[in-house]
Amino acid sequence: MTTRAQFIQRVRGEMAKTPGLFAARSADRPQEPGALAETIRRQLAERWPAALARFSEEFERVGGVLYRVADMEEACATISRIARERSAQRVVTWATSVLGAELEPRLRAGGLEVAGETAGLPGEAERSRFRHASAQADIGVTGADLAVAETGSLVVLSGPGKARSASLLPPYHVAVFGKGALVESLEQVGVIFEALHRDPGTMSGASISFITGPSRTADIELTLTRGVHGPREVHAIFVESL
Amino acid sequence: MSVGELKVPFVERAHRALNDRFLQEALNTATTRFMTLRHEAFQAFPQGEALRERAREIKEATLQKLDFYLEQLADNVERLGGHVHWAATGDEARGIILRLAQERGVKLVVKSKSMATEEIELNEALEHAGITPVETDLGEYIIQLAREKPSHIIAPAIHKTKGQVAELFSRELKRPLAADPEVLTKVARGELREKFLQADMGITGANFAVADTGTVVLITNEGNGRLVTTLPRIHVALMGMEKVIPSMTDLMVFLSILPRSATGQKISSYVTLVRGPRRPGEMDGPEEFHLIVMDNGRSSQLAGTLREALYCLRCGACLNVCPVYRQIGGHAYGYTYSGPIGILLTAMLHGNHAVRDLAHASSLCGACQEACPVKIDIPRMLIELREHLDRERIAPLAERLIFKSFARVLTTPALYRVLGRLGRLLQRPFVKDGRLGALPVFLRGWTDHRDLPPVAERSFRERWRELER
Repeated sequence: MTTRAQFIQRVRGEMAKTPGLFAARSADRPQEPGALAETIRRQLAERWPAALARFSEEFERVGGVLYRVADMEEACATISRIARERSAQRVVTWATSVLGAELEPRLRAGGLEVAGETAGLPGEAERSRFRHASAQADIGVTGADLAVAETGSLVVLSGPGKARSASLLPPYHVAVFGKGALVESLEQVGVIFEALHRDPGTMSGASISFITGPSRTADIELTLTRGVHGPREVHAIFVESL
Repeated sequence: MSVGELKVPFVERAHRALNDRFLQEALNTATTRFMTLRHEAFQAFPQGEALRERAREIKEATLQKLDFYLEQLADNVERLGGHVHWAATGDEARGIILRLAQERGVKLVVKSKSMATEEIELNEALEHAGITPVETDLGEYIIQLAREKPSHIIAPAIHKTKGQVAELFSRELKRPLAADPEVLTKVARGELREKFLQADMGITGANFAVADTGTVVLITNEGNGRLVTTLPRIHVALMGMEKVIPSMTDLMVFLSILPRSATGQKISSYVTLVRGPRRPGEMDGPEEFHLIVMDNGRSSQLAGTLREALYCLRCGACLNVCPVYRQIGGHAYGYTYSGPIGILLTAMLHGNHAVRDLAHASSLCGACQEACPVKIDIPRMLIELREHLDRERIAPLAERLIFKSFARVLTTPALYRVLGRLGRLLQRPFVKDGRLGALPVFLRGWTDHRDLPPVAERSFRERWRELER
């Protein structure tokens, strides 16, 4: 068995034989990512309409469907409509503590069966129940921590109340987000990620996913097919009041 | 290619590929499509050129402090509750994964596409130990059912027709299926979804591993990377040690150029960042996370001829533009990695003997270097590799003698003159309409598929002398 010390020793020995191919440096990282992230957010508080326009263009280019609504009430109506149009019944959602308390009852009132995630420390039974619900669900409703205009990507951070399965197992994924989530570029995402990881308190989950349109493959004779493993439709609802 | 076909010499494998009409068409369509998509993506992305330079520099900078970044990565993964294993060889990597699986009573493994696990032929080892590995990338699933190797880094099953895929699926599922990509994809979704839910262990590779945060990065279009790292209770990631990068800032540079180079997308459908096992309060995600850092011949090249090949992102761009790959496809190369970069990686993993013939499967036109997102100088390394083959006497004796004589001729003016005259004389019966047509016997290979210009009636030196007079 190779130990860490042996492995690194071997690498070091080989490294010592050469200065490398040319003088090189890795990317310049922000000195104060937290402050810089704050600046970006401040700028976006003004510039968000342009970012939303670009997001809309890119998101639709990759096959996403974007809605713009005034408030959560309208967002819930939109979700119910998406469900009705697809004869979808079962909905799985992130916890109310994340998405807002009004979501679940409104969806129920719209005639949908809702399995909401509960916040707190889930036990085995709870986990298994939620997994089953996600696997059976037609629609998964989540938030989005970031919406990247440059690429049309939704970025979701996992964490308590923010299950990964909700955006992954059901054939239809609906993400609800507000202007605070909008960023312009991957470069800005880099700054925000540097800031997030610098402050250990902010990352309560182990996974970050960039979701850019529906799941796709072209592995059989280059024929583009949607929904191979992940959702075959991705909808994003921009809520002005959020 | 099924295992064992390596006994067939490269020339014959290439020949077969050239005579396979479907393969020729499929290769032409696929590589042209990928090439066009890549070209268009970079045309519409003016900052792409600068980012490629940046990415190249990050790769070199990382190798210059590789020991530091690997230790930093390991510290961070462990801090997050993950386990780190070190594998000096492919054998050792297989052993670690088998032990992890056996100790935990794992019966079913789901995998997302990983060249590193292909490289160590992990599936065969798992099967041998009574563990069922299921490839979940659609292309990989197809070639797993066919018991073949990937023929392209990012499109492993481009050599299969939809008819062949339908046959494979029908045989596996014991019911007749239509040769329709839409139908077949839906069937695979249903079939594989069950496996995702049942599997005890998920195995992935790593497109990148961020040292500063302890994050493994997976890029897929199908979403199988997410499923493999979300549903099974154990996640094992196998990475070649050169996949480490310093920071999230660096990652964003690579995220901008890798998908564009591979499929022309601004970003792939799913980019998944995994940091250790699930945290308390998380509803899903694996309870155990293992990272295996693998050397398997890589460290020997840190100061070797092939160092630059360690920059490779596995995007497949060099395959699509290579005039040789475009003709013969991935299987003819005979090893896990094909195309121009594949020749170098094969030499790295299996030694110079393995590329005795392959080192010549390149016209050195430079298209690969031009397409490479990190501008790897593949032609230079191929030339150096050929030099090594000669010096180490791995190249066939005839080839070595011919090159030695050739060098002698070129450096001895008198000999060059005499041979020039002799050539002029000997070529006469074969020159037709000012072109050298069909040469006899062992020289046939030069003229079978093309005409050569004949040796000039008067050499440049002769004409020069006349001019001086």
